[in-house]
Order: sequence, then structure tokens, then C-alpha cells
Amino acid sequence: MRQARIATFAAGAAAVALTVAGCSPSDTDDDAGPVTLETWISQDMDTLFPGDAGSYDPISVLDVVYDGLVRYDPETTEPYNYVAESIEPNDDNTVWTITIKPDLTFQNGEPVDAAAFARSWNYTADGDNGLYSNYFFSIIEGYDEMQPETDDDGNITAPGAADELSGVEVTDDLTLEVTLSSPFAGFATMLGYTGFFPIAQECLDDVEKCSTQPIGNGPFRVTEWQQSQELTAERWEDYPLEETPGYDAIHWTEYAAGETASWADFQADEIDLSFPPTAEVEAAKNDPELSQRYVEAPGAALTYLGFSLYTDGPWQDVEFRKAISMAIDREGIISSLGSGQATPADSWVVPGGVPGGEAGTCEWCVYDPEAAKAALEQAGGWPEGEKLQISLGDDDAEVEYFTAIGNSIEEVLGIPYELDILPSSDYFSTRSAQGFDGAFRNNWFPDYPLNENYLSFYAAGSEEDSQFGWYSEEFEDKLDEAAAAPSLDESVALYQEAEQILAEEFPTIPFRWSFSATYYSERLDNVVLNPFSGAPILRAIEITA
Amino acid sequence: MGRYILRRAVQAVGTLLLVMLLLHLLTTVAIQLNGNPAQAFFGDKVATPAQIAAVEERFDLDDPCYDQVGNPCLGPFVERLGQYAQGDFGTNLRGREVADIVATAAPNTLRLFCIVLVTWLALGMVLGSVAARWRGSAGDHGIRLTSVLIDAFPVFVLLIVYRYVVAVPLHGWAEDTFGADSWPPYWFKPSFDPDHPWATVLVPGILLGLAGSAAFIRLVRASQLESYQGDHVRTARSKGLVERHVVVHHVVRNSSVPVVTAVGLTFAEALGGAVITEGLMNIYGMGGVLWGAVRDDDVSLVLGVVTLLAAVTVVVMIVVDIAYALLDPRIRYE
Repeated sequence: MRQARIATFAAGAAAVALTVAGCSPSDTDDDAGPVTLETWISQDMDTLFPGDAGSYDPISVLDVVYDGLVRYDPETTEPYNYVAESIEPNDDNTVWTITIKPDLTFQNGEPVDAAAFARSWNYTADGDNGLYSNYFFSIIEGYDEMQPETDDDGNITAPGAADELSGVEVTDDLTLEVTLSSPFAGFATMLGYTGFFPIAQECLDDVEKCSTQPIGNGPFRVTEWQQSQELTAERWEDYPLEETPGYDAIHWTEYAAGETASWADFQADEIDLSFPPTAEVEAAKNDPELSQRYVEAPGAALTYLGFSLYTDGPWQDVEFRKAISMAIDREGIISSLGSGQATPADSWVVPGGVPGGEAGTCEWCVYDPEAAKAALEQAGGWPEGEKLQISLGDDDAEVEYFTAIGNSIEEVLGIPYELDILPSSDYFSTRSAQGFDGAFRNNWFPDYPLNENYLSFYAAGSEEDSQFGWYSEEFEDKLDEAAAAPSLDESVALYQEAEQILAEEFPTIPFRWSFSATYYSERLDNVVLNPFSGAPILRAIEITA
Repeated sequence: MGRYILRRAVQAVGTLLLVMLLLHLLTTVAIQLNGNPAQAFFGDKVATPAQIAAVEERFDLDDPCYDQVGNPCLGPFVERLGQYAQGDFGTNLRGREVADIVATAAPNTLRLFCIVLVTWLALGMVLGSVAARWRGSAGDHGIRLTSVLIDAFPVFVLLIVYRYVVAVPLHGWAEDTFGADSWPPYWFKPSFDPDHPWATVLVPGILLGLAGSAAFIRLVRASQLESYQGDHVRTARSKGLVERHVVVHHVVRNSSVPVVTAVGLTFAEALGGAVITEGLMNIYGMGGVLWGAVRDDDVSLVLGVVTLLAAVTVVVMIVVDIAYALLDPRIRYE
């Protein structure tokens, strides 16, 4: 008995030792093998279903697995037709005729035709399915009939009456006619977004399976996804279109702590693209060899400060909001925190990142302590003994930023502040229930590159429905006018005018733009960041030997 | 013995139910106070009530009790128990099967624990035995000093230094020396590699084991010292048995009971408690899963994982108790 136990233990230990020390790893790349791009994603990616994928990681994976009707120019971010042969609006931008290139197929052989788009859009637009990208389709006629009915407590009382968008009509195999519920000149720009990708019938038949094993129409096929650990996609040999890179496969390692966690692996040559953790940023910058393999670009996500304009307080006065804005030392805060991985914001639309985005539209986004004090005085000062509450979600980096913002305000204006840090679900529900009292953090990551996308969410229709408690009829009229403009260029110009209204009424204070940067391995070439998402454009990367 | 095991099993089921109810209540209160996770699904986007309602329904959060602070939500709890009884552990907040998550994460954590255990036993038994055998010698003092030093060194410091300072050059060296197509580069890979799980978990496991070994060394030493002074050892010696036989059969074996207890206790802890090691070395394991689930108010996942951990703990404790009887002839269960 005793011997048997010892023997079992010895056998177990030996098995471990053998596995650890055994012959040789089975699948090591040798020189003749496929060329694989090694990159990273975050561990919490949970779906690859186009209509349900709304965050950075699935979007960057789906960008090589699926092709949309349009893709975006990496320099100007303007859309150009890709799967679409043509996209033509009628005179008032309400009816759009989309023609699809012939002979395209999904990776399973099914045709990519008008029906493939219609089935995808109908499924995502169907509110009963509870998908992330559902709200994109609210612009198409028939959307409202597809949403479930709810009572005052937010419980569903009846499912949506319709299962298909009445505004999407398949007129022939390759033609879609889309009727919008209101004019929108920027509709074509939306069509490159993940939520508008087509899906195969096989995918619709088993959505759950398709969420982890997508059937795309893009240059790469997902071959294996060990969820939360790694994802592999191989080049689809029969890919009919032109935008496909020269390498054979992409392997994403999933990191619990995101990109910076991959830095040690990058240094060990196990990963091709990475960015260092804060503590290592300086060392990387100062490495003359490494800094040759570096690209950076301004990001398109805006972090800004809102006010509870639905509660009484000094913030009701625009002069007070100006004072707060001018009291924030954006440059100083950003350069001292996070190794300067951000850009001070002085506009509501990202300058240069999307059509219509210009720097400097916010006149009061410049640090000016004297003017700030004067504006505060004009607004009647801050009530004695009160503290300005600044609410935000629980995130260490953001808490650091907002502590600095609070300090800057206190130093310049003498307004004491208090951070109100909430768990993220609580933060979001409080915000939509208009439950804050004071200032609160907001962040906007645009869905598609058009200045409209930075502005339209301010148009809630009334003060009660706005998360800021702000409503301007003039602003909403301007948005309507822009949406109905005869051309996209004119539309963009009118949206710029709408941004001007925002700049005058000043309901929110822009703080910083995100910033994207990446280091790449010696074997990579032509690493370009998407000016819009900030992600490296995988399709453009070249791998040398 | 049979009746004893049966009694323990019945107790175990009771304990499990109690643990599940407690957890259910805690997570329910968290949702009621923190706001509905369905809202977080949309992040910065402003969702309409219909969208929120649809997402709540999709992820089984649509029971109105989740909006009523203080309501114990026993309905969903009973429903969940029924599903568990049928082997259905439900899905996490984003629709992924809890069983699938556990099936991916648990093996990684178990691998880590295996290495840790081997490290503990190797260091603890060898150094502890040496210290006890030559009590008061320079070796004994040296071992005590070493174990105090190890104990004082936090595991995360050890891991960060290893990962960022040691692993990268070692990995490069191993690749140059042994070739990329050999095992050594994998041992020193800075992160876990799911394709080579044992090789890449080896060093983190040894480091974690090293950090926890101090208590083990002291435990083995103390309990062996007690054995050395026992009557049975004196009897064995006076019978003329050779010293090696006395040490192996009468000292080491008899002093194993506390060691087995410690292994059992730490096993349960290690399953969920290796969060830091898992996080730093990017090992997708139970600790990280549980951490994320609690942070996101993911009721199904928290309950599924903790229920599993509780079940394993209860089973391990029973096994430990039975092991006592096998190791120590004086212990009998009636």
C-alpha cells in the first residue's frame, strides 16, 4: 500500500517532468512554415457576431474577417466603395440605392448579395434579440415596429410587432433599396461600421456558433478561437477582392490586462505589435533602435466633462462652465500623467480624424487662470462651504486624471471638489437616470468617421431625455438641416455649424483626445495606424522574412 | 468508514447550498445597489428603455426583483438550482457558457497548483527534514533564516522582477543556445502560452511555490521534531532498526498529518487565490475569472465558479480526513 502510494506520486511527478522537459514543442514555426502576424487583444472579447460587436477588439478582428459595403481611407478616413459597386441617394437623402459587386461569396460559398445584407440588418435591428448595434438601425424606416414594448418599470410587455425593416427592400439579387425614416446625407459613411456587415444564412441559422466561429467574406478565416486565450485566423485563399496582405495568418494572444501586458512578450520577440506599460514608456522612447520602429497618431475618442444641467446649481450659468473649463490646465495634466499619451482637446469633433473635424472650435478650452476667475465672478461665484462633486466610473487611470482636474480647478478658482467614484454599471445607470449633481466624466468613441457622430447624441429631443439635461432647438434644427443637405460636403459644413452652437452654449467641456501609438517588431514594415480607431491596419502590414 | 463518508457527504451538500444562497444574496444586493449590468453593456452609448429591457431579457436579468433593493430574489435562485441539478450552469453576462469558461480556466489553475505543490513538498520535506534531523546545527539556522527571507518577499515582487528583468534575456539566451525549436525558450517565455501550458506555467509555479514554501518548511520541521521525541521512535531505535528506516517509516510518515492538512487547505485557497500570479503571467485561470466576474456583477458566473470551488473544497476536505486514517494508524472513523 505504502509502496503503491509512493509509486503513484513518483509516476505523477515523472509525468509532469516529462511533459515539461519532453522532446520538443510540437508546433514551433520553422522557416518554411506559414508567416504569421503575432498580435494581441484583450481577454474580455466575447463575440465575433457583427451586429453584437461594439468594442475595439472585436472590431479590429472583424475588420480582417469581414468586408463591408464601404471601407475608409487610412489618410482621410473618407469612405470608398468596397463590396458596394455604388451607393446613390435620391434628391433628399431619404432613399438610398445600393448595388453590390457581382460574384462575391462568403467563406462557406454562399453568395454575398443583397439578401445577405438584408438578413444581417433585420436580425440586428430586431430589438427582441438585444444586440449591441441595434441602435444604428433606428435611422431606417420600420425600426420602431421591431422594438419590444415596455412598461414604466422597464419590463417588456410585448415583443416587437415586425421582424423585418420595412425600409430595406431587396429589389434584385445585387440591389438594395433603403428608405430612411428621416434624411441623412452621411448614410454611406455609416455602412463601413461592423454592425452593417453581411451575414451568411448558415450564420443566421446558428447565431451562437457564428458568434465564435464567424463565416466572413473578408481576407481571413477564423480557424480557432480558444476563448480568453488565443485566436487564430488564416488567409482565405479564394478571397476575390484586392485588399489582402502578403502574410498567411494572424495569431492574437489575449491579455487580461490589455496591450501593455504584452510588452514583455514583445521584448522577447514573441509579439509583433505592442506598447509598453507606463513605467517603461520613457525607456522605450530613449532606446534609439526601438524608437525607429514606432508609429503614433492622435486618437478619435473624446473625454469630456458634463454638468447636471437638470439640477439647480452654479453650473446653470454658462459663465460658470467657461470658468471651470479655463481653470483646467489640460497640457500640464496630460504631460504629467500617463506619459503624455493623450492630446489636449479644444473641440468637440476630432481635428483631422474625421471629415469636418477642426481644432480650436472651443474658445474656452485654453488654460487661462485670470479669465477663469473673471468668468467665475461674473457667474456670481461659488456658494460658500459647498463642494463641487465630480462623478466618474471606477477606473484607476481616470481617477488620476480627474483628481488632477479637480486640483487644477481648486487651485485656480478656489472651488473645493470631491470625487464621486462609482462602479461602472452604477455610473451608467445614474447618468441615464439624470442622477448626478455637479460635474461628471463622459467619454465618446465614435462609431464611424463623420463629424455628425460626435454631435447627434446631444440631440435628445427634450431636456428630460438628455443625459446632460441640455436641449437646444436651434442645435437640433441645424442637425436636421445638415442631414437633409444635398451632398455630403454641404452636410459636413452644416454639422460644423451645429458644433459652433455647442461651442456657444457650452453644455460640456472637452478635456482630452485619446492617443494611439504602437511599437512593432523588426520583421514588420508599413505599419500604419487607422486615424480613426487608432488600431494598426492589419491588412496593410508587410512581413519581411 | 462507509457511514462516516456518507455523513460527511450529506453535510457537504448542506454546506454547498448554504454557500450558494449566501452568494446569491450578496450578488443580488450588489446588482440592486450598483445598478443593472445591462446598462453597462451599452457603455457610453445611451440606450433606450426597450434596448435595456431586451438586453436584460437576453441575459436573464429581467426579473423585476433585481430593481427592488432588499428583495432576496428567491425566484431566480430556485430556478438556477433547478438548472444546476440538470447540469446546466448557465451563461455569463455576455452569453458564454459558464461550463466552458470553467473548463478552460480550471486546468490552467490546476497545472499551476501542481507545480506549486511539487515545489512545496520538495522544499518543505527536504529542508524541513534536514532542519529537524540536525536540530540546532548551522544548517538548521541557515534554513530558518532562508525561510524567513522567502516569507518576507511578496510574491508579486518576485514575479514582476522575473517577468520584466529576468525572463526576457533568459528567453533570448535559451533560444540562441538551444534553438527556437526546443523546450527551454518556452520555460522562460514571459507570458503563459495555451499551446504549451505545462512548459510556460513551470517557472511561475516554482516562484509561487517558493514564496509559499516557508510555512511548509517550518511546519515539517516542527512536526518531525515532535516525532523524534516520540515513544515509538525510541522503541524503534531500541529495537535496533537502522536510522534510515526509523526516519522514513516512523518520523516522516507520522509527522505527515499536519502536512496533508496544510496541503488540503491551501489547495482550496490556491484554486481561487492565485489571482496575482495569473494576472501577471497572463494565465487564464479561476482566480482571474472570479475577479472579473465579481467586478462586473456577473451573478451567474460568480455563482457557477464559487459553487464549483466550494464543491471541490468540500471534497478535498473529506479526502484529507480520510487520508489521516491511512497515514496515522491511531485515527479510526466509526
